[in-house]
Order: sequence, then structure tokens, then C-alpha cells
Amino acid sequence: MALRSDWLKIPWRRAHARHHDPYWDFFINTPPADRANSVLDVIRKAPEGNVFPTKADLHTPEVTTSHVKEMARYLGTDLVGITTLENDDAGHPFAIVCVVRADDDPHEAPGIGGQVPAQNGLFVTFVLAAWIRELGFRATMAMSPDAPRLAAAAKLGTLDRTGKLVTAEYGTRVHVADVIRTDLPLVPA
Amino acid sequence: MAVTPGTETPPPPYLGRSVRIVGPVANVDMNQTPHPRNSRGELGKALFNWYRNTISRDPLTRVSAPNHFADQRNFLASVVNQAPKGKINSSQVAVSDPAAMTRHIKAVAHHMGADVVTVARAHPSFLYAATAPPKDSAARDVYQNRSGDVYQGRTPEQMVQRYPYIIVATTAWDYDKLQAHRHYIGDAAYHVSQMKAQLILKALEGYIRELGYAALRGMSNPQAAGLASGVGELGRNGLLIHRKFGARIHMPDAIMTDLPLVPDRPVDNGVEDFCKICRKCAINCPTNSVPFGDKVVFNGVEKYKINWLTCYKVRPYMDAHWGSCLTCATVCPFTKPNVWWRSLTVWALSACPIPARPLLVRALKAIDDRFWGTTRQSRVRWLGYDSGIKPGEQACTVAGCTAEHGTAHAAEPVGSIGYYAPLKENTNRFVKRDV
Repeated sequence: MALRSDWLKIPWRRAHARHHDPYWDFFINTPPADRANSVLDVIRKAPEGNVFPTKADLHTPEVTTSHVKEMARYLGTDLVGITTLENDDAGHPFAIVCVVRADDDPHEAPGIGGQVPAQNGLFVTFVLAAWIRELGFRATMAMSPDAPRLAAAAKLGTLDRTGKLVTAEYGTRVHVADVIRTDLPLVPA
Repeated sequence: MAVTPGTETPPPPYLGRSVRIVGPVANVDMNQTPHPRNSRGELGKALFNWYRNTISRDPLTRVSAPNHFADQRNFLASVVNQAPKGKINSSQVAVSDPAAMTRHIKAVAHHMGADVVTVARAHPSFLYAATAPPKDSAARDVYQNRSGDVYQGRTPEQMVQRYPYIIVATTAWDYDKLQAHRHYIGDAAYHVSQMKAQLILKALEGYIRELGYAALRGMSNPQAAGLASGVGELGRNGLLIHRKFGARIHMPDAIMTDLPLVPDRPVDNGVEDFCKICRKCAINCPTNSVPFGDKVVFNGVEKYKINWLTCYKVRPYMDAHWGSCLTCATVCPFTKPNVWWRSLTVWALSACPIPARPLLVRALKAIDDRFWGTTRQSRVRWLGYDSGIKPGEQACTVAGCTAEHGTAHAAEPVGSIGYYAPLKENTNRFVKRDV
């Protein structure tokens, strides 16, 4: 559709409203008293599903790569890239790295609101990994300390001095979601 | 009989122009709704086997649709909904201004990705009857996680006094993919946004507990709460029709809470006037389950009533082609992209004096028929799926794909017509219309 009105929206309106919200700081910065009230642990600790026994009839690796990226974007990621893995423990050749926009850094804001980027990232990576397993290929998602490095290797941005990812689109206001390691035939960036 | 103070039934709520409560409403027993009845085998073998024993042939359906997974652990909604509930925070956040808290909860839900958030004042007739969930865990609908939330011996009236608000937070699904409804592409749009809504509601529920208030799930009929809080009006197709998204919004299990809030009012989108005239969903329904006639009174509620059983019965036979029909949601003239010309039209309709509306509705209906067609036939291609391939045929139409497939490559993918199974002319033969 050509006739969208997105450009009419005032970019600072929502941030302005939050400034006057007396509970917003609690939402972002107060860690949950009971971890069970956050969905993050539930998803991270969930056992991984089986790989579907019949492999799907795939297209060429180039087409599969574009489909994986399109699916990740449809699930809500803002940036997605693919890179090769050297000497992975389980022998997965590729890593899919999803990066979501983050108003607050989940590493610094422990509240349920501060963890929303992590929650969005987990939604993408869980469903994407499950979908690859249902296609008949192995896929594992896990938190990893070298996620920003892999994101940089997937050409989503560069690392700054502190090892944080800096992207062209959103600067440092991004969260690198859990890395998916897979043996689905892909073409790295 | 003496009535205990605080337990008399409040007057029937105003639900907008589309639905009217005219008599006593019995609380709906969740175990007698279609999915639970089907999972107990009460609707016949074909439906039972489709619901309980079918693994979808489509990988995306296996990770996103309830009950058609190969492995439940690959289905996010069941992971999220079967998780144990957290405790209510003992240090409660004081709410001095309920209006500020209402704005905050709406901002929180939008921040988590919800498209629609409203607050309804609870009414005893909105609640499901107090019944135990099924013993058989596989027979529980994965979307109704009511196991932990019980009435605790209270009556519906006492529940409403104790927990006076219902928060309806939900997502809308994608317009462009919906055009390939009765196809796996439309299913993807529907099921993925449904999973997202489940995740948002679970997170919102947890956040309300962290604020120090109760958050009960599986208590309220979401459509009733949606009507009372102005999510939309109830259309002829039995779906809530929203101002921005039309019929393409989910109505998942709402959150009942004692958090002090300010409830919203029912809305007037002109749906009431449109549905009197339009009948597009009734004409297009592949099973003729949507009524052509007037509203009926069912369980004390005056509304358009679809025939849910015929709507349900087509599904096992369509398993190889799709999981969710969505025809009535797609053809609804209110279901349009969320853009300025749609906002302008709905505003014009709701600003128009009610006696003059039929004229405007006829004009809008004519425009809709002219530019969007009397039935949806647009071809959608997404991730190698192609709704332009006839049901039953297989071909790879991905541009530039040279892989060896079991099926042939389409020589030249041409045309803009989408095919949907079943075609209406194939079902008219064996499903009777109710005119």
C-alpha cells in the first residue's frame, strides 16, 4: 500500500507520555520479586523439542537463507544475520543472530519492562528454532557471551570498545537475542 | 429470601448498540464450549481425530497452531501457558490515581507489543461458570489456562466485587497475509500473532502480580469484556469488529484483576448499521454458518448468532490445505490496512447521524464491492508458499530456485488469482443456507 500515514506520527509522543508516568520507573528498573512472574526463565528453561524425522523439501541455500530471514523479521526481529561457526561443540556450521531494538538495555534494566527486548528476542528465537527443527534440521538457541561478536561477524554492525554491538540502523539501542546454532544449509552474510 | 449485602446482581451492563442483554444470562460453562466438547469426543470421530490425533503436514503450522504439533515442546504457547504462576508481590504499589494506573497499564501492554488494550468493568454475566478443568491434561485447551485460578467458593457476584476490572489486551494479525486465508499463509498470520498475544498476556499478568495485585486468567468471556470496554462491536460474523483493524483481532483469555483502574466505554463504529445491510460474510462463508436473517436471543443476549457446529465441521476435511478458515474476517469491509483512508471512513460512519447511516453504508458497500471484490481472490506468495497454486497441486514458484524438488518448478508463475479450498461452489451443494 502506497498511502500509509506512518510519516505523520510524531516520534517523541510516546516517550513524552512515559516521562509523566509515575509507575514507568518501577516497570523498567525494579526486578521481579518472584522470577516466575517473568516469562524469560519459562522460555529459556523449556526443554527443546524433537527434530522432525522427515526433512522438508528445501529450496536452494540462497532461497532458504532469504526465507529464514523473512520469517525472523515476520516474528518481530529488527535485524537478522547469518554467520559461520568454527569449532562449535555440537558441530553446527551456522549461527543465526537476531537483533531487536531496545529502548532499555536488558543487561542494565532488571524490571519486567526493562526485559521486554529480551522477551521479544526470545519470542523470535524460540519460534524460529522450533520451525527449523520442524523442517527436519537441528537448531539450538542459547544465551552466549559472544553473541555481539557473532552479530558483528554476521555484518549487523560493529563492536565498540566495551564489546557492545553498534548498528547503523539503531545505534547501540539494540539487544542481541539468543543465538540459534543450526545445520540448516544456509549462506552466511 | 434475604439477600446478603453485596451479593445482589448488578443491573445488566450496556454493551453498545450491537448486543443487548434482554433476559437472565446463565454463566457459560467452559467445558461445554466447542473445543472442550470436541476433545472429549462428543462431536464425532472426524472432528475428534482432527483435533487430538492430527499432525499437520506444514512445518509452520506444527510450531504455531494448537493441537497439530508433532512435539508440543516446539509450540511456544503451550510452553508459556503451562508454566507455573508467580506469587503476588507482598509489597503492594499504592495507586493514588486509578486514571494514571490505567494509562500506565495500557502503555505497558503496548510496550510489550499489544495492538489493542482496554479495561472493562466486570459483570457477573461475563464470567465463566465455576467448573473444574478436565482431568485429562491432553483434553485441556492449551489457550485456557484456568487450572490455578478458581472461584474459591465465591459466587460470580462476589468475584466481581472482589476483582472489579477485566483487562483486554490483544494483537491484530497481518492484513496482507490474511488475503491468502483458507491457505497456510493466512494461518501463519493468524497463529503467529495469537502466540504473541499469549506471551504478552502472560507477561502482563506477571507484571500485575509484581505490582501486588491479583491477575486471574480463564475467568471472563473475552468477547463480553471486549464489548463492554469498547474493543469493538459484534458483527454478523460473530466477531468483534475493531475501529482500526476490523475483524482481524484475536480475543484471547482476558485478565481479571483488583488493580484500581478506570473502565472504558462501549464504542459505536457503525458496525451495527453496516451489518444490517452488508451480509458479505454470510454470502462468502463456505459452510453457510453465518446468518442472513436478524438477530436472535440466545442465553438472554440479543445478537447475531452463527451456527458454530457447521463452522466447525468443515475443518477436518480441510486439514491438508489450512487450519483456520477466516473467511468472514477477511471479507468484512471493516478489515482493511490500518491507514488514513480507513480511519477517515470509519470516522465518517460513526459521526454520521444514525437515521442517515443506511444510505452511507450502501455507498461504502458499493465501493468495497467495486475495489476489493465481492470475494477475496488475491494471490499471495510468502516463504515459498503460493496461494496461486490450485488446491491439490504442487509446484515450486520461488524465483531463482534451482534446487532438485520432488515436484516440478512452475515454468512461468503468472496470474494474480488466489485459490482457496474449499471453493464456495463446492460446498453450496451439501450445506443448506438458513434463509
